[in-house]
Amino acid sequence: MWIVTNNPLVKAKLASIVDVQYHDVSYLDILHIMRDQIHAGSCLLTHPLSGSVKPNETPYKSVLMESGEAGKTDLDSLKLIEAAEATAKKFIDLRPTYVEDMPDRVKEDCQLIDYTLIISAFPSAGLGMI
Amino acid sequence: MAKYKIVHYINQFFGQIGGEEKADIPPQKHEGQVGPGLAFGKALGDECEITTTIICGDSYFGENMEEATATILEWVKEENPDLFIAGPAFNAGRYGVACGSIASSVKNELGIPVISGMYIENPGADMYKSDVLIVETGNSAAAMRKAVPVMAKLALKILHGEEIGSAKAEGYIPQGVRKNYFAEERGAKRAVDMIIKKLAGEEFETEYPMPIFDHVDPAPALKDLAHANIAIVTSGGIVPKGNPDHIESSSASHYGEYNIAGIDDLNSTNFETAHGGHDPVYANEDPDRVIPVDVLRQMEKEGKIGKLNDYYYSTVGNGTAVASAKKFAEEIAQKLKDQNVDAVILTST
Amino acid sequence: MQIEFLRKEFTKVKLQLGYIDINDIKFDKNPRIENGVLYVDPDALVASVLQDELIKDAHFEIAKPGESIRITPVKDVIQPRVKVEGPGGVFPGMVAKETTVGSGVTHVLRGMAVVTAGRIVGFQEGIIDMTGPGADYTPFSKLNNLVLVIEPQENFKQHEYEHAARMAGFKIACEIAELARELSPDETETFETPTIKESFEKFPGLPRVGYVQMLQSQGLLHDTYVYGVDAKRIVPTIISPTETMDGAIVSGNCVSACDKNTTYHHQNNPVVAELFKEHGKTINFVGQIITNENVYLADKIRSSDWSAKLAEYLSLDGAIISQEGFGNPDTDLIMNCTKIEDKGIKTVIITDEYAGQDGKSQSLADADPKANACVTGGNANEVIHLPKLDKVIGTLDYVDTIAGGHQGSLQADGSIIAELQVITGATNEMGFNKLSAR
Repeated sequence: MWIVTNNPLVKAKLASIVDVQYHDVSYLDILHIMRDQIHAGSCLLTHPLSGSVKPNETPYKSVLMESGEAGKTDLDSLKLIEAAEATAKKFIDLRPTYVEDMPDRVKEDCQLIDYTLIISAFPSAGLGMI
Repeated sequence: MAKYKIVHYINQFFGQIGGEEKADIPPQKHEGQVGPGLAFGKALGDECEITTTIICGDSYFGENMEEATATILEWVKEENPDLFIAGPAFNAGRYGVACGSIASSVKNELGIPVISGMYIENPGADMYKSDVLIVETGNSAAAMRKAVPVMAKLALKILHGEEIGSAKAEGYIPQGVRKNYFAEERGAKRAVDMIIKKLAGEEFETEYPMPIFDHVDPAPALKDLAHANIAIVTSGGIVPKGNPDHIESSSASHYGEYNIAGIDDLNSTNFETAHGGHDPVYANEDPDRVIPVDVLRQMEKEGKIGKLNDYYYSTVGNGTAVASAKKFAEEIAQKLKDQNVDAVILTST
Repeated sequence: MQIEFLRKEFTKVKLQLGYIDINDIKFDKNPRIENGVLYVDPDALVASVLQDELIKDAHFEIAKPGESIRITPVKDVIQPRVKVEGPGGVFPGMVAKETTVGSGVTHVLRGMAVVTAGRIVGFQEGIIDMTGPGADYTPFSKLNNLVLVIEPQENFKQHEYEHAARMAGFKIACEIAELARELSPDETETFETPTIKESFEKFPGLPRVGYVQMLQSQGLLHDTYVYGVDAKRIVPTIISPTETMDGAIVSGNCVSACDKNTTYHHQNNPVVAELFKEHGKTINFVGQIITNENVYLADKIRSSDWSAKLAEYLSLDGAIISQEGFGNPDTDLIMNCTKIEDKGIKTVIITDEYAGQDGKSQSLADADPKANACVTGGNANEVIHLPKLDKVIGTLDYVDTIAGGHQGSLQADGSIIAELQVITGATNEMGFNKLSAR
């Protein structure tokens, strides 16, 4: 089980508890990295569109993933990530530069929200309550 | 009072220049109304005048979209009409795509209102319905008499600046555009009314029809690739040099079946693409880029796959109606079964 | 007199709501309700709010329907209610003890709300316009609002502050509602939920209909509480609709203003109200199932399996399923719908859409042909122009960064161009409004 994220707060706070694969990339790019891992046989454990903060309002996204059955692509995960990419693109196309111009304080709030969304899954994932 | 000015776009056939043999004529401009323009002139009445008719060959438009669009836009800009009418194109695929494409450009680049008319299954309808008001017509030119009054009525509403009603009321193809409105009742009441109807087996109307995706379950993996017969099917239009079956560059009406037994490599001397929807240079230079015959032959020799099937199937996906594509696929699938093909590599461009 | 008479008739799950109409709110040193006017003492209420050390400053303002006032950023909207008869108290597990509620008599201050406003995080949202085009989209423009504007202490964590702001709203609502304890209601209404046995006996010929309510439960600013329990930690369960009228479900949700369910929505659940109206006439309203919208996919599978199982256990013929929020919950909605349909139970789902500003994009993040009966609260991406209003309660600082706003949302002339999603309650997914899309 591991986290794929572009949220530095998730890396800083959770790397000691669970394997964190951190990439310093955009929202769309981190979804794409998740998709590539699903193509290679991994499964999503959390929803890639977690949270009501729209994909053009926050730069951050984290998911929990795990290895799938050898030689198989998990079609449920694939369907979720493809729908998430399509939805995210729909929003980001509306205001592509929003996140770049975001003040640091707002970015920190976005990091915190993304962090709380992912840790909300920890008890269910057997990682305990944070 | 000055009359409303209208520019009308039609193809070579309706422009009375010729049939398929004249489909490659570049755009030309005529003063006044031509062909179906006469019927429009009558239906629109005294307050309108078709001042210019633009005629373009369907193949020419499809294969030279940028140039044709630039030329036509320039002419429309000069004329600066109050409305641009394209077609109706009925079920003519390339004509429909041309009507939709040019109408969309006129609307978005010149800000001039546009309408068109097409048969619901015309691929142009699906491609442009969200952007252009397309009146639903019959599937052949015989439906002209019915189509013109509906289009003229809608044209006059647009010219008068009246509010355009629902797709059903006005006769255009639903645009798939979601628009908010205040209903009579609140949502919860509408939901309760809907469940009562649904439970009683009465007809009810959902407020958001779910998009229907044509899901195809993936076939089970091959157990033994080393003995499998692998075939190629493509919508990338790769055909033997000279396109012997004359597969159209867009809105294909048929597909081809070609023997590649004994051919190890496709190249610019023996194969080419019939596809008109992309720059064909790289496909023509090396058709293996679209259907990987060279690599599959190599794998055949190495014993990785059992065999590359002797026949491959090819059509052009560009603007081809879904109904046509389904029909091709059913026939091709049967042929593949008859040849004991184990797996198919599908490629497109 | 009437109340005395009814009290004798109580069964376990029979709740009488006594409505006290509030037509105006005024500040006065002597708090009371008189001739439909609520008089509150702002100083006393502020003192009460400031008992929480996390809150640095607070003040109250009044916003009435038709006034040129914009309230933003809105956190929650709460209707003051007080339990005057029967077990437990309003907001069990939050303000009152955890005792099961939903029976007896509860007094309701009708026509008003307590609105909590102020900053929690930097991308905060929620606009209530009391007049103009924005007012048409939010139900709260029709209420007399007592607005509590809160300023947090520095150096506290956002979740602690969210908790403080949430609790301050409930506390003030309860203090105000106390003023109505001894009053005679302007109107009363009685709701009764039968036991399973009674439900079969009473209306044997009518189709059995239930309500499946999905609760937002994804994390900080995305939470809902049931008797004080974080809804992400519950498994789907059956709740009496009258329990929700006593505040058994409250909102801790601050994101996605247009389609979050405020506490007011939960107290005045429109699906429950409309089902009760048809109960015994065209349908037999059997009960309410609550489920969650977790982030963890296995939780989604378990919860939707259970909600379908409970629907079957109640022998439902039909179910209405309501949603909260955007994206992730679309998956729960479709799972609930398809699994309940697979049990042979007919469904209607209530959702809203994100079809893009031009209305041309895919509306939902998930879809299934089995969801063939759908009610929509409208396209939240549709752009709206809100003219400048004379007074702002709260601050416009966040308008450019709130959900659906975009850079330049706030125009030089003080007007706002933004998506409908900035407006509190605009595309509610419990079907609270008349807005729809076609």
